[in-house]
Parts: sequence; structure tokens; C-alpha cells
Amino acid sequence: MQERRKETGGISLDDALGASEKWDFEPKKKKPELYLTIPPKELVFWALFSAGGMVTAFLIPIHVAILGIAFAAGWLPDDALSYERVLDFARHPLAKIYLGILVVMPLYHWAHRFRYAVHHQLGVHGWKRLVATFCYGTATLGTALTVWILLRI
Amino acid sequence: MWWLRTRAYRRFAAREATSLFAAAFSLILLLFLFGLSRGRQAYEGFLRWLERPGTVVLCAVVLAAILYHAGTWFRLTSHILVVRLGRLVVPRKVVISGLVALWLLVSGLVLQLYARF
Amino acid sequence: MELTLRIRRYNPEVREDPWWDEFTVDVEPWDHVLEALHEVKWRQDGTLALRRSCAHGICGSDAMVINGRNDLACRVLVKDVAPKVTVEPIRGLRVLKDLIVDMDAFFDGYKRMLPYLINDEEPPVRERLQSQEERERFDDTTKCILCAACTTSCPIFWGDEGYVGPAAIVNAHRFIFDSRDRGARQRLQILGEKTGVFRCRTTFNCTEACPRGIKVTQAIQEVKRAIMFDRLG
Repeated sequence: MQERRKETGGISLDDALGASEKWDFEPKKKKPELYLTIPPKELVFWALFSAGGMVTAFLIPIHVAILGIAFAAGWLPDDALSYERVLDFARHPLAKIYLGILVVMPLYHWAHRFRYAVHHQLGVHGWKRLVATFCYGTATLGTALTVWILLRI
Repeated sequence: MWWLRTRAYRRFAAREATSLFAAAFSLILLLFLFGLSRGRQAYEGFLRWLERPGTVVLCAVVLAAILYHAGTWFRLTSHILVVRLGRLVVPRKVVISGLVALWLLVSGLVLQLYARF
Repeated sequence: MELTLRIRRYNPEVREDPWWDEFTVDVEPWDHVLEALHEVKWRQDGTLALRRSCAHGICGSDAMVINGRNDLACRVLVKDVAPKVTVEPIRGLRVLKDLIVDMDAFFDGYKRMLPYLINDEEPPVRERLQSQEERERFDDTTKCILCAACTTSCPIFWGDEGYVGPAAIVNAHRFIFDSRDRGARQRLQILGEKTGVFRCRTTFNCTEACPRGIKVTQAIQEVKRAIMFDRLG
């Protein structure tokens, strides 16, 4: 047996299969840690874009239809948009949050899409900082204005 | 301009362009709220602007764009999001139907808010 | 049947600019475009340069733009493109000669993803065990053959220097979602950068181009969500 092993230069079957010589413990399964602690900038922009897209898809169409078309066509009850009724609604803190989201999220959605449209479709390959600042800056400005106006109501 | 080359690319560009109309409506909403914050006269002045035929045409265009966005957004979501109910994987068409149903529900709720039906 | 091939030629040693050549060959309807290209190279113009290896859709060497769409030349049937087909090299990568492109930029993005199992824990006594569900989780992205059809169909890759491209993200996904791997944090950190996964604009060209039917855009979305929710699955 010994000679044969030397000839073939092989290792024993036991060694090849890695069988234990003694009682052995598998190493403890490590719990997966948190992957990232600080969100990268791009993630923030993309998450805002994604949330903005949701708001734009679900909430904006009905608002456009009502404010932009139904009201002018006279399909709403007479006092639906009366000053008192709307003011009464808008003064509620939850209403302010809702209106804030309604105005602000599509702006961030636009900012992200427009920024990349400028680079990838209009072919502007440089000025990356400027374009990004313009887009997100405009959205932030819009947010600030919205907050200011909502606080004044 | 690569995005003019094929129909699929042009549709992609149109989809991206809808974000402009979304931003435009945000501006309109902002002016609405601004008028509200300035008092009765300013607010009612804005309402009169809303009633102008030019504004209605603008809003019709905005609505078309936003509906196109919603349609492409739902279709896209159904392609790239795997919806699971426990171990059951929901088929794509059901996901779209679910999103549309949710959209109808939300729209109905908002309409209730305005019109108090 | 007769097939006319309109091929984009380029040879910097002969002519500065690329040019088009037309060849007519006689092939069977069930032959592939690759066989037609062979007819051209072996019987009509030996200077035609192209890459090919297995010739049956698994090595990924012969990715080309056929009638405006990315595919493997050995997968496109003559009967589906006859009587005339346009063959060009894949876009976004530097053309070296005729249908051969410089794949360095493509492989650089791939290598940045650390495309190997990362696990520095003490190895188990026998195998690293993995359940069927865990294996299923990343099954789709194991299919990648690195043909570059997806990456070279991505308009973002064409225009954006540095974007790693869909193929790199797919191969990163294959390891990130592998339960035996522990390198998810490193890879997600790389992918969260400016040249990483957030460049994707869900144009969907990649999924359409993939000859293996991988749901590329879905894989990219899963990586984006992994970064967003700071966890896998």
C-alpha cells in the first residue's frame, strides 16, 4: 500500500475529502453586519427621485385633473375651492405636510431626471458640479419657498 | 442624438421629459398656495387665472404628460420589482393591476377631499 | 439562400476612417450570421477581422450590432435577417479593427467589482452549506458570459466615461447576493459611488440585449435597493 501511494504521488482519500481527525465545530455563523453607515450622495438623490416618481404617479394626476380642468369646467361643487374652505383645510398641520410633499417631491424627481438628461441626452459631458448644483439647488429652493409659504398660511 | 434614432429611444426621451411637466405643476401648486397665504383677493385672483382657457389647455398637456409618466412608471416597476407574498411570486400583469387599483383608490380619496361626494 | 451583408470595416493601417463593405453569400436559412461572416472571411475577403470561439452562443466572443441591435452573431439566424443584414462592431468601446473592439474598458469595470468570493472567516470543516433558496437568490446573474452586449447597448455607457456598466453590476450582484460571500459591504460601497449603479436610468436596453435572458435591469434595481435599505433581500 505504501509503495503504491508513493508511485501515484497521491494523498489519502481521507485527506482529500478533508475529514476531521477529531470532534470539530463548524465556525459560528456571523450575523451580516450593516453594509453602509453613511449613505452615498448618489443614493440620496436617487431615493428622492424614486419617491418623487411615486408621488408624481399616484397623486399628481388627480390634482391636475381637478385644479386644472374640473374646476374651470364647473364640475366641482360651488364652494369646493372657496377661500374659507381651502384655508380651513390648509391650516391643519397634517394638510401642510401633505401639501408640502405634493409640491416638493416632483421637484426632486425633475431635478434628478433633468440633471442626467442634460449629461446623457443633450451631450453636455463636463460642468458636472454646475449642472448638479443647478438642478438640486432649484429643487431645494423650491422646498424652502414651499415651507415658507406653508408656514404663512 | 442617440435618443432620436429608434422609437424605443424616443419613447424613453419622452418619458424623461415628463418630469418637466411635473415640475411645472409643482410651480402652479406653489402659486396656488402663495395666493392662499396672501389673502382672499390674491387667492381669488389665482382662481380666476385657473379658469382661463389658456391655463386649462396647459393643464391638459400637463395631465397627459403625468399620465404617461404614471403608465411608464408602473410598467417599469412591474419589470424590476419582484413582489412576493411570503413565498409566492406575483406575476407582472397582476402587479400592474395592483398599482392601477391603488392609483384609482388614491385618486378617489383625493376627489372626496375636494368634492365631498 | 442569398444573404447580403453590409459590414462596417475599419483598418487604421489602410484607411483613416471606417467604411462600409457589401458582400453577398450563399448560406442556408438556418445558418447563423456568424456562418455568413465566415463565408465572407474564408472565401471572399480574408482581411475581415472578427472574434468568435464556440460559435453556439455560450462563450460570448462574437457580440455585434446586427441590424441595429446587439446580439451574438452565432445566435441570429439568417432566415430572420435575410435578404440584407447590417453588421457593426459593438458601440461605446474603441474599435481596433473591423468588428473587433478594445474590451479593456469593459473588463476594467468588471474587475472593480471584485468578482470573486470574499470570505475571510474560518473555513468550515466540509463545504460551505447553501440552501436551495439561497442558491436561487442569485441564480439569474450567474448566467453572465461577459459578452458585453448589455454594457455596449447602454446609452449611459456610451456617453459616460467611468460608468461601470450593466455587466459589471450583474457580476457584482452574483456575489453580493451569494450567501457564502462576505464582501457585500465593499462592493456596495464601490457601487454607491458616482460611476456606480446610480448612473442607471432604467433605459432597459441591457435587458433586451442580453443573449442569456438575464433580467439585468432587475438585478441593477436590486443592488440599488440593497444600498438604499442597507441590507440584502
